[in-house]
Amino acid sequence: MNEELAAAVNTNPTLMEKRAPRSRVKRALLMDRLATLVIFAFSMLAVIVVIFIIGTILKTGLLTALDPAFFAGKPQALRSGGGIGPMIVSSFYLTLLTLLISLPVGVGAGVYMAEYAKKGRLASLLRFGADTLSTVPSIVFGIFGMVLFVIRFGLGYSMLAGALTLTLINLPTILRTTEEAVRSVPDSYREASLGLGASRWQTIKNLVLPSAMSGITTGAILSIGRIIGESAALVYTVGIFVRYAPVSPLDPGAPMAANIWHIYTEGALVKDWLRVANGETAFLLLLILALNLLARLVSWYYEKKLGVTG
Amino acid sequence: MRIKKSITTLSAVLLIAAMGFSVVGCQIGQNAEAPANDLTGSLIISGSTTVLPLAQEAAEMFMEIHPNAQVNVQGGGSSVGIRNVSEGVVQIGNSSRGLKDEEKGLGLVEHKIALDVIAVIVNKDAAVTDLTLAQVKDVFQGKITNWKEVGGADQTITVVVRDEASGTREIFDEKVLSKEKPMAGAIESNSNGIVKTKVSSTPGAIGYVSLGYVDETVGMLKFDGIEANVANSVDGKYPVSRFLYMFTKSEPDEISKAYIDYVLSDEFQNDVVAKSYIPMKEAS
Amino acid sequence: MVLFKREYLIEKVLLALAGLSFVSIAIMVIFLAAEAGPALAKVGVKNLFFESTWQPNDGRYGLLVFITGSLLTSIGGMLLGAPPALASAIFLTEISSKRFSKILTGFIELLAGIPSIVFGWIGFTLIVPIIRDKTNTPGVGILAAAMILSMMILPTITSIAADAIRSVPDSYKQASLGLGATRWQTIRRVTLPAAKRGITISVILGLGRAIGETMAVAMVIGPASVFAKSLTTPTHTLTTKILIEMGESWGLHRSALFVMALVLLTISMGLIYSINHFLGKEDY
Repeated sequence: MNEELAAAVNTNPTLMEKRAPRSRVKRALLMDRLATLVIFAFSMLAVIVVIFIIGTILKTGLLTALDPAFFAGKPQALRSGGGIGPMIVSSFYLTLLTLLISLPVGVGAGVYMAEYAKKGRLASLLRFGADTLSTVPSIVFGIFGMVLFVIRFGLGYSMLAGALTLTLINLPTILRTTEEAVRSVPDSYREASLGLGASRWQTIKNLVLPSAMSGITTGAILSIGRIIGESAALVYTVGIFVRYAPVSPLDPGAPMAANIWHIYTEGALVKDWLRVANGETAFLLLLILALNLLARLVSWYYEKKLGVTG
Repeated sequence: MRIKKSITTLSAVLLIAAMGFSVVGCQIGQNAEAPANDLTGSLIISGSTTVLPLAQEAAEMFMEIHPNAQVNVQGGGSSVGIRNVSEGVVQIGNSSRGLKDEEKGLGLVEHKIALDVIAVIVNKDAAVTDLTLAQVKDVFQGKITNWKEVGGADQTITVVVRDEASGTREIFDEKVLSKEKPMAGAIESNSNGIVKTKVSSTPGAIGYVSLGYVDETVGMLKFDGIEANVANSVDGKYPVSRFLYMFTKSEPDEISKAYIDYVLSDEFQNDVVAKSYIPMKEAS
Repeated sequence: MVLFKREYLIEKVLLALAGLSFVSIAIMVIFLAAEAGPALAKVGVKNLFFESTWQPNDGRYGLLVFITGSLLTSIGGMLLGAPPALASAIFLTEISSKRFSKILTGFIELLAGIPSIVFGWIGFTLIVPIIRDKTNTPGVGILAAAMILSMMILPTITSIAADAIRSVPDSYKQASLGLGATRWQTIRRVTLPAAKRGITISVILGLGRAIGETMAVAMVIGPASVFAKSLTTPTHTLTTKILIEMGESWGLHRSALFVMALVLLTISMGLIYSINHFLGKEDY
């Protein structure tokens, strides 16, 4: 590593010449300012884009989104004045069902990776699986879910088929956040517990996991955001339009994000389709913003109240 | 113990919340005042996006008559509907086309539910209202590229067609393009809705949709002076139309049969189908 | 003894959970390959991967258009998105105050949380019309898709690159600054080269995200199954083709769509493999 540094310094002419000519120093200082300015301007792009997107969506849809007749209303296929009540129920229902399945699996897997997995073939194979799973496009999950859960398992278009598909998508996120959180728990905790005669699992259960709770919660909230926003994976597993909210896990549903795709493709049969789509998009975005706020509050809570970070 | 407890609590909370949503769902989903009726059970339908709105409207009205029956209609596409019904995933598969040769061995029973007229629509900037069949063909094949060549505005033509899997496209290619292909590079859309949206928003665009989708935001073309409407299609003057179908696996079960009977009933055919499509009575 | 047995059992259960990801990938490969099998066997690798004509009704299933479309849109997104993303990473770690850095990170996390469908809706209602009016073309295509993608990959690249830059030891920077180098000289000659590996990974993962993006691209890409004639004419990508046609396809056509899914899965595995293999196996 030090050689690297030496190499870096060696190839740097300004660093080589101890007394650089004044013009060079001036140029270097000018470049420094210019580069700082350019970097600053570029990094402000993200802020501008976020404000622009949120502003545009809320401008066209906020009023519709906050109208109870819309967010609690019944969807329409042929007439104007439709609402998105069942779509909101679908989104929440799907989120709960997915978390119910993916949290135990993801947390368990994360604990294994952090506490048990030894460096070696097996660990790198497991990691390769999780890493690949996290880069597979959601549409591929969608048609895989269609083939396996909808057709092969005979679940049909259903909340359950969608939740299982989403579990695959969210597994790597929960796994990784859990693993990081568990790793960040100081070894001294474990040694103390083991020294007192607790078994490995008792130590994990009673000490490590509670200390890692903040990270796990953050991972869960992150997953909720992804579930609420997911669309491509649900078109062929859950459905894109319903008149009634799903009741049983085997009922089809129409989560908001997937329903917006439906409106984009098929909605024009309804006269006020743009109003419905704008309103639904705004509602979805409000929900995402609220989740973001919640994540912030949670991490603030853990930092301040418990003095535990990670 | 603490972690076990909190996991248990979390699961309990999630479960209760899930149940809460189910209850809300029940309440949203049910019409309490409708009269009691003997028909119970659930019916799941999937398939053609062209048939989707009709099937949904029918489901709604059907459930008002039979409050104990649950009907759920999904899209997916004609092929998905045919596949799903043959695999037993759904009880009825909607389709905007007849069965392909390779689908004929699946043991499906065909129920025609309406005749659908396909209209050619243009963006209003194009300033054309009437073309010959040959001109329409040349436009869709890219031989005519500017509206001024056929007496319209000086505006480049953007052709919007349906995707190759679409039943609508199949009938359009057959009847208007004499089984030839549209130009390469035409925008392909997978639904009537997008075609209409694209045509209404893109200057100089032309496309085709089910008659039910045509409204004042787009212009509708006449073929040699003949307008796309129900009367002209029934007379056979307007050439581009096709049937819409519902398929069941062998003979339909009780609830499927009741539903399809309802779709074919005078009440539904006259009140709903007739608004955008041609009822079966007039078509046959 | 009982305790030991229980500990052993727990470890195995956790191992099973950890193994689920890998098992899922394996099952996915098997199922997608089984569905893609007929097309691979009957159409053949040559006619799939070295042909650009996609006409399922004539038995032509060339995938080149879609592969090219995926590559061009994601490279375009990269060209537009990577510079601001990397600049943000540098700004966050090397230039900004802690306080401001926290605010900016908040915005970037917010950007990462915005659903694809919302980006798509912005593209459809705002970006495409602007491009259309400025260029007098349909406005859909690679430019619109690249613009949308550049916003979507920014958080991925920024967060990973920032982590990489943060992990460069302070002693490096202090040595350079101590020798009289300016901040920019230190960043360019010392910090960035030392963080090269992490930055490369961030760009690769950003590329992966761009290739896999579906909904947002589907609403702005066109679509048309032809090579793009310009940056603002319709074309198609692997993901959008699958999304749009899966519902309306059967037989070999459907199977060919699964070949596309298999291509996407291979790309994902390839990217992860190349990161592990060529860049070392550290965590990222």
